[in-house]
Amino acid sequence: MNGEELTEQETALYDRQIRVWGADAQRRLSKSHILVYGMKGTVAEFCKNIVLAGVGSVTLVDDREVTEEALSANFLILPDENLYHGKTLAEVCCDSLKEFNPMVHVSVEKGDISTFGVEFFGKFDAVVISCCSLAKKKLINQKCRKLPKRVAFYTVDCRGTCGEIFVDLKDYKYSKKKLEETDECQLEFPSFEDTISVPWKALPKRVSKLYFAMRVIEQFEDAEGRNPGETSIADLPGVLKLRKELCETNSVNESQIPDALLERLLIGTSEYPPVCAIIGGILGQEVIKAISGKGDPLKNFFFFDAMDGKGLIEDISEPKPVS
Amino acid sequence: FFYFDSVESLPAEPLDPSDFKPLNSRYDAQISVFGSKLQKKLEDAKVFMVGSGALGCEFLKNLALMGVSCGSQGKLTITDDDVIEKSNLSRQFLFRDWNIGQAKSTVAASAAASINPRLKIEALQNRVGPETEGVFNDTFWEKLTVVINALDNVNARLYVDQRCLYFQKPLLESGTLGAKCNTQMVIPHLTENYGASRDPPEKQAPMCTVHSFPHNIDHCLTWARSEFEGLLEKTPAEVNAYLSNPVEYASSMKNAGDAQAKDNLERVLECLDREKCETFQDCITWARLRFEDYFVNRVKQLIFTFPEEAATSTGAPFWSAPKRFPHPLQFSAADTSHLNFIIAASILRAETFGISVPDWVKNPKMLSEAVDKVIVPDFQPREGVKIETDEKAASLSAASVDDAAVINELLLKLELCRNNLPSGFRMKPISFEKDDDTNYHMDLIAGLANMRARNYSIPEVDKLKAKFIAGRIIPAIATSTAMATGLVCLELYKVLDGAHKVEDYRNTFANLALPLFSIAEPVPPKVMKHRDMSWTVWDRWILKDNPTLRELIQWLKDKGLNAYSISYGSCLLFNSMFPRHKERLDKKVVDVAREIAKAELPPYRSHLDVVVACEDDDDNDIDIPQVSIYYG
Repeated sequence: MNGEELTEQETALYDRQIRVWGADAQRRLSKSHILVYGMKGTVAEFCKNIVLAGVGSVTLVDDREVTEEALSANFLILPDENLYHGKTLAEVCCDSLKEFNPMVHVSVEKGDISTFGVEFFGKFDAVVISCCSLAKKKLINQKCRKLPKRVAFYTVDCRGTCGEIFVDLKDYKYSKKKLEETDECQLEFPSFEDTISVPWKALPKRVSKLYFAMRVIEQFEDAEGRNPGETSIADLPGVLKLRKELCETNSVNESQIPDALLERLLIGTSEYPPVCAIIGGILGQEVIKAISGKGDPLKNFFFFDAMDGKGLIEDISEPKPVS
Repeated sequence: FFYFDSVESLPAEPLDPSDFKPLNSRYDAQISVFGSKLQKKLEDAKVFMVGSGALGCEFLKNLALMGVSCGSQGKLTITDDDVIEKSNLSRQFLFRDWNIGQAKSTVAASAAASINPRLKIEALQNRVGPETEGVFNDTFWEKLTVVINALDNVNARLYVDQRCLYFQKPLLESGTLGAKCNTQMVIPHLTENYGASRDPPEKQAPMCTVHSFPHNIDHCLTWARSEFEGLLEKTPAEVNAYLSNPVEYASSMKNAGDAQAKDNLERVLECLDREKCETFQDCITWARLRFEDYFVNRVKQLIFTFPEEAATSTGAPFWSAPKRFPHPLQFSAADTSHLNFIIAASILRAETFGISVPDWVKNPKMLSEAVDKVIVPDFQPREGVKIETDEKAASLSAASVDDAAVINELLLKLELCRNNLPSGFRMKPISFEKDDDTNYHMDLIAGLANMRARNYSIPEVDKLKAKFIAGRIIPAIATSTAMATGLVCLELYKVLDGAHKVEDYRNTFANLALPLFSIAEPVPPKVMKHRDMSWTVWDRWILKDNPTLRELIQWLKDKGLNAYSISYGSCLLFNSMFPRHKERLDKKVVDVAREIAKAELPPYRSHLDVVVACEDDDDNDIDIPQVSIYYG
């Protein structure tokens, strides 16, 4: 690359993974800066993965206080009140993550992320957000897209036994190994707003029901002014009403979004450790691919449901006009 | 990118709604989905985790968060005989830099207990296998609820699979290779076992290719690894075996009386006589002469026996592709690669003889002088030297009629040598350790391989690539490892719940590089049938009340099965072919096992297992389950 070789330390530590993605990718990783918002279990897994992989820096944002609930799925928070008392989620996670790889710079950024300007996001190569409302997701995505350089944008949310990842890499050029040769590829990703604006009727029938269900819950929380994840079974009537409206507007049958699925998402607001490991692993690899510019990225939604064990990739974008 | 229809995998029996109420515990999320009864089963589970590396660390983290084995009746036993080293830290996140050198299982257990102080975990350092069946005994296995593999090799997996088959325990298996991972559920009576479907064995290069006709760097590295082990580990170990027990050693060599024994003796004699090293200069001499032998003389002999224009018996050119015609090297102290070979070889030789390495070795000028001092005898290739060309040949030792006589001669010479050695003299065998960059092991392997590659005009490789191939390294990353364990832990709930059908379980395969994510139902076990009976590999037939051989045979006859051969382990207890065996028929099976097979049956054992070969009345062989004979 720039003639900057990996240090002897790095070669010794990263030996096994350099054999997977190559020294060049490792160099790029070591120069990358990742922003992470919303320190729940899945995000903790994701952070562990990229810190071990040897990114340049990880900046954590989450001013919420540590509660017992966090202990259920976040292994970065040890159940010792002395360790976490008076600290924010980001601060405790930062302390733990630093230990996994002293070569990665892990730090905390305080404040309301909605108020951070475009230049702030410009410091990063990848932005991963969780526990965000509909409005916040759109806002942060727009700011990332405004930048001339490419900032890889991801949302990730796990509710009970379900998980969702959204990917926006804007205009993405990358390389792909095919047998002995390397192909140069290009993909255009729609923004989050554009993606969720795609009329439901335009989507193939077999699209995961989770996609629609998550959008209903998302809009419900937005309309009711709730924090993400602040729902319960008592909200079911309200959610069903919203589903009816949305399905009518979109001219799709309500059976596309089963009651049982919505119930599960309303009740299961906590995360489930094995699902965190699965989603965190997939997301980690996606970010590594995007930083190294190698390998087909996930485009543009991934859904997982532990109930049936299915992992689905959905490409939710405007169908290309037939010219 | 997925296959198969959805299937509900909630608990199999209907549950009381109150079972799902949050209990204000850290497991509330799980309870809301799976109910507190199942959560209790998780907490009281007795788990055996085999391996504490990358998969092991990720598993422990998951299990601690889920509350597995965290209840009063719970127990998690984890075992791994390995210690922590630097390259582990990129995945095995429960370890820190200051843990390098410590036992993996102990450190991991301690870290997992920090995540959940209620975890009832015991860490052992035993490698699972036949030799540790005293540690992992019947009682240990019988108490287990589930076994989780966290291994890095197929042999260990096959052994654990056999044990789980025998004790009828669920086995949760997973593995990763770079960005790929797969999980497999092995459930007693429901699914096939792990060993039922094996990947085809890796193709190994024929011996003669590796020994005389390499055509790629893999052949050179295989040869290098083999020479390393022979020169530095096997021969010194053989020397020590002789020196520790000269009389026994001599008689076992005489008994064997074959080419292999002759070769062994020749090597031992070489070490103690002609090529014995007492000073570091001796080691340099040895290294220089090894160079000459490997990369000059052997090649000269080879091309003398098979000149460039040589033809095979059919008239075709002998040296046609893929064979590559070699050229002998010419040693030069000015060539750094030659010198590096000498350094690595002489240092390791010195180590086997317990000779310390002087500082001047690091001085290139002084080293070259030392090497130049070595007198290298002239070499003339000889007629009539046999070089193996048959790809199917499994051994290179050429047997000859007078092996036995030669062996006696060698033994006499060895005796003379031994008497001249200081008392208590032993060599130090060296075991190949790929990850220590200061030990010269990889330097020697790479040196051997690259000089050989140079002989055959094969492109050489750098140390990194050499280490990968010779060290049989598995590329590994944290992401696929984490995902694999997450997928397995999802299945764990179903296993502990107990009442699920085979269709409820999931085997998965994923490749995060593509990305590809696919799931499948496990395959049921093969069913064998005979008359109105059917059984699978999971079944064992049980005979109580201390039967005799005759009673066992009659019991099977009543089922329409004619038993003709009965074995215990690798020992034959009875075979209908041998008239002598008829005397045993009225003896108790357990007594025959003790007398003939020298079976050691400890006091806590009350049964033994025999393998019986049977035919039906039409002389067809029937594969029956193992038969457990209860004598206690």
